[in-house]
Amino acid sequence: MGSCTKCGNPNVIIKRKASGQALCKDCFIESIEKKVKQTIKKENFLEKGDKVLVALSGGKDSVVTLEILNSYVERHIIELCAVTIDEGIAGYREEGVEIAKAHAERLGIPHKVVSFKESFGIDLDEIMKTEGHRGSCTYCGVFRRWIINRAAREFGATKIATGHNLDDETQAILMNYLEGNMENLAKIGPKTESNSEMFTVKIKPLREIPEKEIGLYALAKGLDIHLAGCPYAQESFRMEISNILKDLSKDHPTIMYSTLRGFDKIRPALRQELAHDYEYDRCERCGEPSSNRLCRACTFLEELGK
Amino acid sequence: MSFTLKIKDQVEERAIDGDLTIKDLLDDLDLSSETMVSKKNGEIVIEEETIEDGDEIEFIQIIYGG
Ligand code: SF4
Ligand SMILES: [Zn+2]
Ligand SMILES: [Zn+2]
Repeated sequence: MGSCTKCGNPNVIIKRKASGQALCKDCFIESIEKKVKQTIKKENFLEKGDKVLVALSGGKDSVVTLEILNSYVERHIIELCAVTIDEGIAGYREEGVEIAKAHAERLGIPHKVVSFKESFGIDLDEIMKTEGHRGSCTYCGVFRRWIINRAAREFGATKIATGHNLDDETQAILMNYLEGNMENLAKIGPKTESNSEMFTVKIKPLREIPEKEIGLYALAKGLDIHLAGCPYAQESFRMEISNILKDLSKDHPTIMYSTLRGFDKIRPALRQELAHDYEYDRCERCGEPSSNRLCRACTFLEELGK
Repeated sequence: MSFTLKIKDQVEERAIDGDLTIKDLLDDLDLSSETMVSKKNGEIVIEEETIEDGDEIEFIQIIYGG
């Protein structure tokens, strides 16, 4: 059945169709860490003295992000802090919050849990009971971003690290392309590049790692991760795209890599053509940066009567 | 000849007749190998791994939609 391509160990835990490599547990773990470190270096994600805020849900992507970035803390290159968002999804979120807390404590990382309820006076379960709501994931996206930006300032963070993986990135590229959403397409990238001082730069250390390998890495390292599906997850265009990409990957195992690589090549041209620097001002209601009178979060809150 | 199959909190005893690999079992159960990691007797294994009498097989779903 083949042994590890690197060291000959007969206990192989992955066969990478894309490269033909077979790897044992130790060599696989090493290969993931090496790859993430390469991405970090190539994209200039970290500078000595950075304080990086990890958006830590307790799911595999954020736990692995925290774990690998922690090796930079051990080498005294950066400091870490973490924020976990409690959207208020009964029966689902509690376990993730506990797992996130345990990881932060294990690694000695300053951590806070911030809820939708304390930030906005309403939680997701309550929002989902209101009439004419915009769909759970829309609120999650906008409200989480609001909380993370604010937490970054409170912690004095210089960067925000998110757990976006190769699957997330290729899904976003394909979705925006197919929908003709070119301005959003031009915004996709390894780092957010806003010239507004009001935003903390966001980095995606896992963007070149397939989602499945992140899960495998977490299990191989014995990391406790929150494994559960959100009760509000529903059929979405993103999910359709995700299924298409997974299907395609079976016979074309390099498809996600090539999609990302190709996109990264045309990105500078896209940005030049399409990205304009918005004039940012402050939201009248909450003071967060916004190009309109009200930021998106406050627009939603007004709709919800909050 | 039989083995134990564990998925989340569900545990069941299943019979084996003939050669059975992890891949065959995933296909039988209509589970996607793209979203699952498989363990045999506590160790992570690849899909080509064969299942033998007395094995404990566990499937862990690591990718969820949404
Ligand atoms: S799937 Fe659930 S947790 Fe994720 S964004 Fe949607 S509502 Fe929020
Ligand atoms: Zn090896
Ligand atoms: Zn606002």
